[in-house]
Amino acid sequence: MTVLTRDTVELRGGRAQVVFRTGEGPPLVWLHAADGVDEGHPLVRELAQRHAVVAPLAPGFADLEELDDVRDIHELAMHYEDVIHALGLEGATVVGHSFGAMIAAELAAHYPGRVRELVLIAPVGLWRDDEPVTDIFAVPLPELPRVLYADPAFFPPAPGDGEVAPPDIEVLVSLARGMTSVAKFMWPIPDRGLGRRLHRIEARTLVVFGAEDAVVPSSYAEDFVARIADATAVVVPGAGHMVPVERPHEVLAAIDAFLAASPV
Amino acid sequence: MKFHWFHLMPYPYLPDGFREKYPSVWVDLPVKELYDPELGHHVYHEYLDELEFADQVGFDGICVNEHHSNGYGLMPSPNLMAAALARRTRNAKLVVMGNSVALYNPPIRVAEEMAMLDVISGGRVVTGFPVGTPMDTAFAYSQNPATLRERYREGVELILRAWREETPFAFNGTYTQMRYVNPWPRPIQQPHPPIWIPGGGSVETWDWCAQQGFLYAYLSFLGYEFARQTMDGFWEAVERNGLEPNPYRAGFNQFVGVADSDAEAEDLYSEAALYFFNRCLHIPPVYLNPPGYTSIATIRKSIPSMMKAGALMSASSLTWKDIVERGYVIAGSVDTVVDRLTELSDTLRIGHLMVQLHFGNLPKDSVLYNTQRFAAEVIPRLRPRFAEWEDHWWPKDTLAEPANPAPLPDTAPVP
Repeated sequence: MTVLTRDTVELRGGRAQVVFRTGEGPPLVWLHAADGVDEGHPLVRELAQRHAVVAPLAPGFADLEELDDVRDIHELAMHYEDVIHALGLEGATVVGHSFGAMIAAELAAHYPGRVRELVLIAPVGLWRDDEPVTDIFAVPLPELPRVLYADPAFFPPAPGDGEVAPPDIEVLVSLARGMTSVAKFMWPIPDRGLGRRLHRIEARTLVVFGAEDAVVPSSYAEDFVARIADATAVVVPGAGHMVPVERPHEVLAAIDAFLAASPV
Repeated sequence: MKFHWFHLMPYPYLPDGFREKYPSVWVDLPVKELYDPELGHHVYHEYLDELEFADQVGFDGICVNEHHSNGYGLMPSPNLMAAALARRTRNAKLVVMGNSVALYNPPIRVAEEMAMLDVISGGRVVTGFPVGTPMDTAFAYSQNPATLRERYREGVELILRAWREETPFAFNGTYTQMRYVNPWPRPIQQPHPPIWIPGGGSVETWDWCAQQGFLYAYLSFLGYEFARQTMDGFWEAVERNGLEPNPYRAGFNQFVGVADSDAEAEDLYSEAALYFFNRCLHIPPVYLNPPGYTSIATIRKSIPSMMKAGALMSASSLTWKDIVERGYVIAGSVDTVVDRLTELSDTLRIGHLMVQLHFGNLPKDSVLYNTQRFAAEVIPRLRPRFAEWEDHWWPKDTLAEPANPAPLPDTAPVP
């Protein structure tokens, strides 16, 4: 189990930002998806073996009132620039998954100088009518694992005959906070104009998709690569939208190779 | 006590086996496949006839409401229905339980249309400002549920300022910016018609209604026993804010079927009521809970009852016995109905009762029968309740001698 330490940094204007840290080595910023930051996350655990992973918690995840300070996608990009500044990580390596990858791409597009290497894992943020992104907010909760994962090993066991345990209110509250935060920037269509800004990204970029991603089809990898000046893509077979959970070693190997090729 | 005739205007031709064939009555129910506009023509006219009949037999108000992309309620614009009703009704107040303020851009449109209706109807409008169901707002209209309530509150503030301010003004809101707010016409009722807030049980709405002096109308189809927790929460908010517990602060809606006997009620009403509960309320949970629509405070307070409601509604199929025993429908002889409504108004402290005497696919003859018997035999026995309280949530400036639609001459007179 990775040990995450939690502390709070002060941003410009005095706002507080929750940051989780784990591991040692060259710094790497991890921008989480709708599932938040979790000690059991297999890719974060692997990254921490060779990096000082710094994982800021997205606005709203700790307290929905934080969202009042972040009205739209541009203010979200500004918020993350404040975070990078407060952490002293200008020119960092930024790795994001799903919603977090959208934020990473927006940060790198709004502030091209702040991100040196960018890894976008199953990023949302683009939209094509011929292959629309799935509306995850309309997927019934019991069916969600089958949309998020391609590998049946990650599907929950079929419900038994026993009494169904009542839901834990704190779990529901935490889920509601996270999903509300994500919805603010993804509802009803997770396209806030990123496609019109991708050309501004100067960071070397790696795009990673699960070949069987049922949320953002892996064909979107080509759209990211085509619009970002210096980008390559890796598509991991047998994995879905949760590719960093389903295939952490393959994703890690791709990131390692990508970072190793970085010019000194 | 006051009595309002509430129409949902469901589509009455949803096919048998509906629950098995279609995942939802709302949002993605295919209109080309299921809605026949020629049938719809007759449906709208019958529904308007029913509301107009309710005026004729003496209901205090007739209620319309707003829903989108569904077979549950065919009034995407309640204002159009109210406009149609304004000319053929004389006495009943037009209780517009829409408009879902956050869906209008700019929301000043609502101030304009309500004022038009109030002027046309001679000051008979009651203005409802619902947030709107999650299906209507977050899904059918794609409003962001994370900001919906903030947008809604801001819209209500803009509309009320537009009616209250003496001179044109500028409004610099988060969601609406207007350099010139000056809607014409202004309502007959000054500064504005009574404000009713139809709610679904959000805790923050209770204090807001109490503090703003709005009527709180709890719209549930699950009967008064289920509603008790919500209405207790509202009355606690009234007390917390140091206000008198005037029953006319509150409204509630209830399905009612009046007949000679409980057995006749089942004959007359069970099929239509079950049509409503088993088809019109066929909504998957995912559409009921978009993230952010329900506040954290409401989640904490209401999870057990929400879970219970969800389980009740998602039961594979309800029977007449289920819905009568649980109080979803109050049906039976006049005595039965009076007894149950007495208990309801005592339990919930409701001065304004909205009754649904049409439900599901109930034929027009049965609707008129139900309406006439309710007006003639039930209302008189309940009318004196709460007579000691003054109703501050009801139109006061209604014109004593409103214009009537003039007879149309065969040819224009020579001026």
